[in-house]
Amino acid sequence: MAKHKDDALADLGRFSEPALFILISLADGPKHGYAMTLDIESLSGHKPGPGTLYGALARLEARKWIEPLAADDRRRPYRLTAAGQRVLRHRLQSLQALARVGRSRLSEA
Amino acid sequence: MRPETLLRLYPRAWRERYGEEFLATIGPGALGLQQVIDMVSGAIDAWLSADVRRATTPASVARTGGGLMNVKAFMVCDRNQARYTKRDALIGAGVMVGATLILTTVGTVARRSGWPATGEALVNLSFFAALMLSMPFWLMKGQPWKAQGVIMGLTVMLLTAATYLAGR
Repeated sequence: MAKHKDDALADLGRFSEPALFILISLADGPKHGYAMTLDIESLSGHKPGPGTLYGALARLEARKWIEPLAADDRRRPYRLTAAGQRVLRHRLQSLQALARVGRSRLSEA
Repeated sequence: MRPETLLRLYPRAWRERYGEEFLATIGPGALGLQQVIDMVSGAIDAWLSADVRRATTPASVARTGGGLMNVKAFMVCDRNQARYTKRDALIGAGVMVGATLILTTVGTVARRSGWPATGEALVNLSFFAALMLSMPFWLMKGQPWKAQGVIMGLTVMLLTAATYLAGR
């Protein structure tokens, strides 16, 4: 399977999975760090540590896939950018294709 | 251990950019062991990752006034978001290679002189210890000595403990 130029999440190494969860978490609207942590825990069953969460957030921000909004008290919400939506869409499509192949191979076995 | 204590391990620019919201995300109270390990590894990543520096650099430039001279000096010393020059990198590499050779030699001598466990530990640790020793010359150049000492000391201590436990 060819790697799409926008399927760049894999380049984030050990942060690619937390980054994917952050993008999914922000897909339905802006959230701050604590809300993201709770959302990711409900999505994956695993609560990301603060160091991991902010390591992934900084990488996503550096790539302009998310952007910070004005801080609300001490909490700063983030939102998905158009580039982030594109990256997330491609990543989900490739995961869907992978799941399809996996399911078809399981049914062949 | 309190989150505010561990936050001091992060670079100043990082703390200025993310510190408040980071603490708000964690909440008050003592941290669990898993969170402490996660925060320490996050601090090491914040010092070493060019991506993380890129996300926090504009704040540090703005803090120093954002003047043309500052930006120019920053661009000269900070090519590809690295706060070291080519000369610094060469010195760091020299320290890393030299320290690796010295520690490996000392370890080998110790192993042959009746201290096999110590010798083995020294040989196994030589590269990582040398990498830590080289960091003040390039990756952590210009950072507060206290932060350098805590990050490098803690890493060497963890590596030493892991090597000691693995060798038992």
